[in-house]
Amino acid sequence: MTPTEINWPVALRATDTAEQAAAMRALRDVLHHGLRIALSSRGDVSEAHLEDFAQESLLRILDRLDQFQGRSKFTTWAQAIALNTAFTELRRKRWQDVSLDALLADGERLAEPGMIAEDVLGAQEDRQRLVAVLREAIEHQLTPKQRAAIMGELREMPFDQIVELLGTSRSAAYKMLHDARRALKQSLQAAGITGTDIQNAFNL
Amino acid sequence: MKPQDQPLTSEQVGSVLKMLALTTERELNCSECLQHVGEFAETRLASQPVDAVMSSIEQHLALCPECREEFEALMTILQAGK
Ligand SMILES: [Zn+2]
Repeated sequence: MTPTEINWPVALRATDTAEQAAAMRALRDVLHHGLRIALSSRGDVSEAHLEDFAQESLLRILDRLDQFQGRSKFTTWAQAIALNTAFTELRRKRWQDVSLDALLADGERLAEPGMIAEDVLGAQEDRQRLVAVLREAIEHQLTPKQRAAIMGELREMPFDQIVELLGTSRSAAYKMLHDARRALKQSLQAAGITGTDIQNAFNL
Repeated sequence: MKPQDQPLTSEQVGSVLKMLALTTERELNCSECLQHVGEFAETRLASQPVDAVMSSIEQHLALCPECREEFEALMTILQAGK
């Protein structure tokens, strides 16, 4: 049978252990194949990684079979979980040595020269003003932890790493970030800056 | 050099500003996005119109670089399988 012909939720729950094992092997192959397509161009992913990711994803998928609502193909839903598993692990490796203290210090240094690359400031007046308002708001409108969280976002730190550094739950960290964003947004609005201004200044 | 020792780039500052512009009172989180992103990807591939749930996924993807990275990888896989 091809992957599109298998009734995955049924086969993976099969009480016949041989049938279930065959479905698990087939799904692992599908995930492995997809991960290879998505990640093969990266220099930091080996064949062994791909196999680990596929195996780990398979377990996560089996664990949450009940959450599959049939609103997409099963393999699409499963592949999304596999990618999340793989990327989460790859991001963790990149950020594992960064501490909360480093991020707090990063926020403190925001006003120092050189902290924002020259090309951000550029010659455009509206861009310079926007960055100045943002910097001012990050420095004065946030709690230290909110500031660390926003610096993490600025640095493109993965959300899971921010959660880990803050030492809170995912939902508490999410709320902290969301509150911080709303506070910053209010400061931008108070300075008369709109979404359109941002899009124009940064060519978004 | 550690990531936090490099100057912030215009992409980084621009993307946080864009995120602020898009911030609303109620937002999906990453787990909710993961639950629906497969459906969103298939909707996109089929060029079908997006409903309310799908448009909240779209908003989350605009805000969240990680989910966006995973979504783009998913699209790569789905397109390769077409
Ligand atoms: Zn997300």
